[in-house]
Amino acid sequence: MPPRLNIWSACSALSTRARAFARLPQPGPAALARGLADNTTSRLPESTPGALPPSMLPESEPAVYSSSENETAINQLRMIEYGLSSLDPTVEGHKYGMPELPLPSQKHAKHRYDSVITQVTRLLMRDGKLAKAQRDMAIILNYLRTSPPPKLDPARPLLPGAPPASHLPLDPVLYLALAIDSVAPLVKMRGFKGLAGGGKSLDVPMPLRARQRRRTAFGWILDVVNKKKSKGSGRTMFPHRVAEEIVAVVEGRSGVWDKRTQVHKSGTGNRANLNHMAIKGMV
Amino acid sequence: MSAPNCLRCLVRPSAGIPVSAPRTVSPLVTPFVLARTAPFSTTAANARPKKEAQGKSDGGGSSRGGKKLQLGKFKKEKVADRGRTPLPGERKAYRKRITLSNDNAIPVPWLTDLGPADLADPRSSGKVMALPEEVQDQLRASEAFKATQCWGMFRKPAVLVRKETTDLVNRMEDAVDKKETLRLVVTGDKVTGKSMMLLQAMTHAYLNNWIVIHVPEAQELTTACTDYAPIPNTDPVQYMQNVYVLKLIQAIKRANEKVLAKTYTMTAHPELPQNMPANSSLLALANVAKEAEGAWAVFQALWTELTAQGANRPPILLTLDGLAHVMKVSDYRAPSFDLIHSHDLALVRLFSDVLAGGGAKFPSGGAVLAATSRSNAPRAASMELALAQREAEQSNKEKEKTDVEVPKKDPFFRGYDDRVEAVLRSVQVLRLKGIDKLEARALMEYWAASGMLRAMVDEKTVTEKWTLAGSGVLGEMERAALLTMRV
Repeated sequence: MPPRLNIWSACSALSTRARAFARLPQPGPAALARGLADNTTSRLPESTPGALPPSMLPESEPAVYSSSENETAINQLRMIEYGLSSLDPTVEGHKYGMPELPLPSQKHAKHRYDSVITQVTRLLMRDGKLAKAQRDMAIILNYLRTSPPPKLDPARPLLPGAPPASHLPLDPVLYLALAIDSVAPLVKMRGFKGLAGGGKSLDVPMPLRARQRRRTAFGWILDVVNKKKSKGSGRTMFPHRVAEEIVAVVEGRSGVWDKRTQVHKSGTGNRANLNHMAIKGMV
Repeated sequence: MSAPNCLRCLVRPSAGIPVSAPRTVSPLVTPFVLARTAPFSTTAANARPKKEAQGKSDGGGSSRGGKKLQLGKFKKEKVADRGRTPLPGERKAYRKRITLSNDNAIPVPWLTDLGPADLADPRSSGKVMALPEEVQDQLRASEAFKATQCWGMFRKPAVLVRKETTDLVNRMEDAVDKKETLRLVVTGDKVTGKSMMLLQAMTHAYLNNWIVIHVPEAQELTTACTDYAPIPNTDPVQYMQNVYVLKLIQAIKRANEKVLAKTYTMTAHPELPQNMPANSSLLALANVAKEAEGAWAVFQALWTELTAQGANRPPILLTLDGLAHVMKVSDYRAPSFDLIHSHDLALVRLFSDVLAGGGAKFPSGGAVLAATSRSNAPRAASMELALAQREAEQSNKEKEKTDVEVPKKDPFFRGYDDRVEAVLRSVQVLRLKGIDKLEARALMEYWAASGMLRAMVDEKTVTEKWTLAGSGVLGEMERAALLTMRV
C-alpha cells in the first residue's frame, strides 16, 4: 500500500504546516481606513485634538533644498509659467526611446505571431487547448531548426522564389509556411446538385483564397499525421510527427502532393462546367 | 397472471425446463434437458464453448442463419497494418535520447573551450564557454546531460559561467586545498539551473582530474524500480541494489577511465570473485564487476580504496540530483512488510553519511554536492525545513547579525524525520536565483550568434526577455527566447 493511502498519514495531512505563519506587516493608518467607506466612525489613530502636523505650524520654515535636480525642476516650472513646454520628450529623453509609429503588426497582442503560424496553431488545437497547441507549434519549429536541411525533389517544385534548402532550417517559420503554401491546392470542387442531369451534381472548380488554401493543405497534412505511428513516447511525439510530415512535404516524399495533383486534375477536367448555362450567373 | 409463452422469442417453454439453472452445477449431474437452450437463462449461453473452439466457420458477431443480403460483391477485409511494434524500452530510449549538437546552427567564432582553471576564475563569470570534447564524453557517460535541456540547438555544448558557478568552484578548490570535504546542497526555484550547476561542478572536476561519482536521478534508487537485497551481517539491516550499482560502476569506469588507470590499490581484495592483488589499478578493480551478482562487493572495495587514508588519491566529487527522493522513506519493503527508510539503502547511506560529515573522509579532499528538484520531488518536510534553517543561519553569519529569523519546527506536524535532520545539520546551502542582466546579455548574444535567436540583442531585448523570465530565471529565458512560436 502506498504511504499516501495510509489512514494515519491522512490524519497527519490535516495538520501539515512546514513552517510558521509569516507575520504580516503592521497595518498603517491608511490600510486601516481602506475599505471602511461606509463606516462613519473614523478608525484613524488617536491624536490629540487640535494638534496640527508640524509642517502646518506657522513657526516651521520650509526646508531649503539646493541640488542641481531641484534647480532644474524650478527652471522647468518657470518655463511653464512663461507658457513654454519644458517637459518636451525630445529634450528630456526616454529610457528606451519612443516606440516607432505606426506600431509594427508584431507589437499587437493579437498579431504577434506570423499569420500562417497563427492559423496553423489553431488547426493543431484539440479540445480548445490553445496553450498546448502553441507549445506543440514551438516544438515543431524547434524540430525544423534541428533537422538537417531538406533534399529537394525537382519533380515536386516548391513555390517559385523559395530560398535554397540550406537556408530553411534557420528560418523555421518560413520553412513551415513554404511547405504548406507549396502543397496548397488552388481550387476546390463545388458540386451543384442535380445540374448535370439525371440527378447528378455538377462539379465546378472554384478558386480559393490564401487562407482557405492553407487550411485545406494543413488538413491533409494532419490526416496523414493522425494515421502515422509515433516512434517514441511522451508529449513531443505529436509535434514531431507533424514536423516529420512537413519535412516529407518539402522533400517531395509526402502523399499530400498526390492529393493536390488529384484536385487540380479534376479542376482542369471540369473547367468546361464553368460555361454551363445554369452556373454562368452564379459563379 | 404470467403469459404462457415467452414474449420475446415466442418459444413455448416446456414444463421440464427449469427457468434458471445454477451455474455451478457440475457437468456430471446436469440434467439431460439442460443441454437444450433455456430461453430465460443466460447460463446455457455462457456455458457455450468459446468461439475459438467452434472454429472460424462461425464468422463474426452474429450467428444468424439463413440468407444474408451482401452489398458489394468483393468486400475488402480491413487489415490494420500496425507495422513493427516497438520493443520494450525502445520508446523511452527515443524520448530520453540526448543530442548534443545541431549542424544547422552557426558556429560561434569567439567561443572558447573551458580550461582547467576557467571555472574558478572570477573573470570568466558572465561568459559563455564551450565544453571540451573529452569532457563531453565523460559527462555523457555519467548521464549529466538531461533531455529537457536545450543542448540539441547549438553547434557544440556550451555553458554560461555564472557568479554562483565561480563561487561554488572556489569553495570546492578551498576544500581540496585544506584536504576537507565541501558539503553543499544546491537549491532554488524551478528551472533556475540547479542541475546545470552540478554539471558545471562536474566539468570542473573532470578538467582537474578528480574522480566523479554522479547519481543522475535519485528517484531511481528509492522508488522501488530496481532490485534490492538485504546485506548479510548488518544490524540494522541494510539493503544493496546490485543492478543499479553495476550500472553506476560502469558509468564511473567510463567517465573516470584515465584517472582510475593511474590510481592503484593499497590492499588485496580476496573477497571479490576475481582476486585483486595489492598495487593493481582501480580500473582493473572496477572491471571485476561484470554481473549484478557481486557488484555491491566490488563497489565497496572501490570505495574503500578511494577513501583509503594516507594514500595518494585524486580529489573526489560525489553528486546527486533530486535530493528529496533520498530524504524520505523509500517505497521498498522489508520482509516484515515495513517500508524501508531511504538511509537504510546502502548506496544512499554511503552518500548521506558523507553529506552529514561523518562516514568516509576523502584523503585528498573533495566535495559532495546535492541538488534539489522542484518539478519531480516528493514532500520532504524535514529537508525543506533544514535547508531553510541552514540558509537563515548562513545569512546571519555573513552579515554578523541575527536579523533573519531561523525557521522552527511546526509543533503540530508529525511528518518530520530525525534521520534527515541529522544529515542536513551542517551542510552549506547555495540558493540559485535568476541571472543578472549582464549574464543574460552574454547568453543572448551567444544564442543570436548561433542563429537560434533571430533578433538584435540590445538593452531593450535583453530587458524584455529578462523581465518575461521572472527576473532572469534561466529556464524561463530559454522558454521566452528559444522555445517560442516567434522565432
